[in-house]
Amino acid sequence: MSVTQTRRDETGRSAGTKCWNCQAPVAETHFCAACGKIQPLPEGTDYFAFFGLQEKLSLDSAQLEAQFHKLSWKLHPDNFVRATDFERELSLNRSSELNDAYRTLREPISRVEYLLLRRGLRKEGTTKQQVPPELLEEVFELNESLDELREARAEGGDLAALREPLDAAQGNFQGKLEEVDAELVRIGQEWDAALDTAADEAKKQALLARMNEVLNRRSYIRNLVAGVQKELAEA
Amino acid sequence: MAYSDKVIEHYNNPRNVGSLDKKDPNVGTGLVGAPECGDVMKLQMKVNPDTRIIEEAKFKTFGCGSAIASSSLATEWVKGKTVEEALAIKNTDIVRELSLPPVKIHCSVLAEDAIKAALSDWKKKQGDAEAKPAEPATAASH
Repeated sequence: MSVTQTRRDETGRSAGTKCWNCQAPVAETHFCAACGKIQPLPEGTDYFAFFGLQEKLSLDSAQLEAQFHKLSWKLHPDNFVRATDFERELSLNRSSELNDAYRTLREPISRVEYLLLRRGLRKEGTTKQQVPPELLEEVFELNESLDELREARAEGGDLAALREPLDAAQGNFQGKLEEVDAELVRIGQEWDAALDTAADEAKKQALLARMNEVLNRRSYIRNLVAGVQKELAEA
Repeated sequence: MAYSDKVIEHYNNPRNVGSLDKKDPNVGTGLVGAPECGDVMKLQMKVNPDTRIIEEAKFKTFGCGSAIASSSLATEWVKGKTVEEALAIKNTDIVRELSLPPVKIHCSVLAEDAIKAALSDWKKKQGDAEAKPAEPATAASH
């Protein structure tokens, strides 16, 4: 197997990669421009780059979907039935990466999460996030109020009387969720503008940190919404 | 992913659920959270100022089974210990006791943080000379 060594610059983009087949230089593309052969997936390729996109948060979902279909068709293992095992494997790798990339980028929230993951602000499972104490207080109180409703229901409280506070809680949490989502969109736009104007790293870091904080708040509120919906469904 | 028997046991029969009087000068309160899974944990301890022994511990946690089990276990462990002994409890001890899988290790970190936060709050109330501002545990989380 003649996979060429990949060197990368600071941004993690591959630099100086050569086509495994014809040795022509290949940039971060799916196929070699010279011989047309499918290329191995360089380590550390990000989902944005996979789609040939900048890591911007406002994304035209129709365009993304069209690109997804186009790439699925081009990379599909069916196109490689007569190719070598190596090329078939590359097609499988790229197709599965394509599906992951599409699933991640198509949802605005998972898109932000992915950006923060790539930028080192979040890590799966292990790293704990810092939360402002006021947020914890608020979340704890909201959870307690939900818990009280739950207990009242468990103790055979008057369901009709309980629906009202549950509905109110539902509206309250839903409203907060919308606020948080709007805030996330606003910061996302600032982030995109920062990329466009090549803003300095400090400014970008500050925006990422803000997004991370809003996302943390969002996880809490989403849980509360789910909790109150569950109670309402059972009430 | 299946929970270990010990996690299930603590989840079904959590020890020391409830709260202590936040205004009591001998009660320290720690409120911590793990937003990635929406957990929030409150741990309170009543400490005898003369003996520095933790006489009572209560918790209330909104979160997954592992977070509830970790805080339940934490209250069980700190009771009867001195402040210093309680501060020596490491998240890895909780991981071991509850056989937490890697994705749930942050629940144990949360419990360790809660102990530290509660005792730092108590020290602050006591005007303890060695009181330090609430310092999140930099416990190994991997």
